[in-house]
Amino acid sequence: MMNKTTIDFRNAFFDAFYDIASVNNDLIFLTADTDADSLVKFRKNYPNQFVNTGVTEQNAVSVAAGLALSGKNIFIYSMVPFITMRCYEQIKIDMCSMNLPITLIGLGAGLSYSYYGPAGHGVIDIAIMRALPEITILNPSDPISASAFAGMAYNNFSPTYVRLHKGSTPKIYKDNESFSDGFKIHKKGSDCCIISTGIMVHRALEVAEELKLQGVDVGVIDLYQIKPVNEEFLLENLVNYKKIVTLEENTFIGGLGSLICEILIDNHCHIPTKRIAIKDEQCFLYGDLNWLHKNYKLDTISIIDEILRF
Amino acid sequence: MQEKLDELNKKANWLRLEVLKTAKKTGGKGSHLGGTFSCIELLVALYYGNILKFDPSNPKWVDRYRFLIGKGHVHLALFHIWVDLGFIDNSLLDSYGKNGSLLGQQLNNKIPGSEYNTGSLGHVIGVGSGMALAAKLDKKNYYTISLVGDAECDEGSIWESVMFAGRNQLNNLITIVDRNWMSVMDILKEDDSTGRLDEKFEACGWKSITINGHSFEDILSCFSDLEGLNKPLVIIADTIKGKGVSFMENDVSWHSGIPSNEEFDLAIRKLEEKN
Repeated sequence: MMNKTTIDFRNAFFDAFYDIASVNNDLIFLTADTDADSLVKFRKNYPNQFVNTGVTEQNAVSVAAGLALSGKNIFIYSMVPFITMRCYEQIKIDMCSMNLPITLIGLGAGLSYSYYGPAGHGVIDIAIMRALPEITILNPSDPISASAFAGMAYNNFSPTYVRLHKGSTPKIYKDNESFSDGFKIHKKGSDCCIISTGIMVHRALEVAEELKLQGVDVGVIDLYQIKPVNEEFLLENLVNYKKIVTLEENTFIGGLGSLICEILIDNHCHIPTKRIAIKDEQCFLYGDLNWLHKNYKLDTISIIDEILRF
Repeated sequence: MQEKLDELNKKANWLRLEVLKTAKKTGGKGSHLGGTFSCIELLVALYYGNILKFDPSNPKWVDRYRFLIGKGHVHLALFHIWVDLGFIDNSLLDSYGKNGSLLGQQLNNKIPGSEYNTGSLGHVIGVGSGMALAAKLDKKNYYTISLVGDAECDEGSIWESVMFAGRNQLNNLITIVDRNWMSVMDILKEDDSTGRLDEKFEACGWKSITINGHSFEDILSCFSDLEGLNKPLVIIADTIKGKGVSFMENDVSWHSGIPSNEEFDLAIRKLEEKN
């Protein structure tokens, strides 16, 4: 870790958004009545670029499409499940099928709404969103990447989905980091490579440090761009490992582990691979995020145990 | 005025004939005669009655009126209008129903004349609201008009958007409901949900006008004083599904039915008599 100070993902993202939107009046922000501290200033200073659509996610995506068809670049904000599943057809037809410059910002990736229950959890959104052909999916792992993805989304000029952790983490990237490769090799190893995404990258780094003390040399990759994946370059960096482990805060169905397995199989790359993810169930247990992770064996000790047994 | 009305009536009859012929020729490839015939006068009034502003040589002209179709299964009427006005070539329409055609049973926004990818009901009031909002932000004078079916108004997303447009006083947004009183399976005649559409829109902050959707005089009168609007406008156009061919009228089986040879000859005769 470069710095233990933690920064909230929302503040990092929306502060960057503020800087972009304040000099680009084609950028319109729609919220389906979801708030963030750092949005208050934007709403006050740029009322023409801010619309609260009310609790209408389907309408919000359609309105965004109408604005985008009229030359605007749109950011829409709500909680992960509501800005993806609730309005999936509007995303497919209004936003993706016409390839419009609209960015969906989902708050609450993984289990970060830990006291909310399954309605608020973001553990199956990657599975459904990556089925959309036109979309780019960005999954920041720290405040620096969250901040950078505001600009990447604005400049993408096509359908984009950014999923934000609800909470803070320390930085793992340097301030001027480039995110053009689609993934980042945080650590090279010789035995096993952990591919992770989002805040679980922090856990992967902890696991790698612990395992190093036990004589196991583990690499860590942050796949922050879930779609499209920079496949060729990723494979180049995987082929020499003896084992691959995927680590994510999604269910086993259709998320990071699935997509890595698809890439490996499609490219005849038969490296033994282990998926670590959340059990295929809707979680009705409540607690803080660390407790939920432990419950699903996503804590450092459980992961180390899994890897050593693999 | 009477001359203009006669002209429009003639155009409507021409359009029904063309749609019927294409439907018969390509039978079963997507034509929906019932719900197309119910809105023929509405479409003809918009395109030929000086309501929509457009430029076929520049389909994306920035000041054009935006016309969004919710009930995309009326595609055949639009294809014939677009050929007639010069948006698309006849050769493109000739490909309809053939393998590999760019024209299908829904509208694609890449086709000149079309604004939106149709096929899923209940989206266009929202998309139209976005366009109307953009016009306000950019200080443009164009109107955004959408056409939806009455059964389509069962979609929840319609009401999300109706509330949004009302709350934001989008007085440059117009929705026309083709109220032919039928869904795919049922007659909606005694249905409060369909019968009290005017009250539902009004409760959400819209102005409503209910008209005879087959009367050009009625349709044109709705657009005579748009500048006085201070809220979005819904035109509830009472129509007859299958209008123009007596045996198709008010019969749910003509939602997507294709006429037999005898029925086709009879329908053609009935329409030609009106010329």
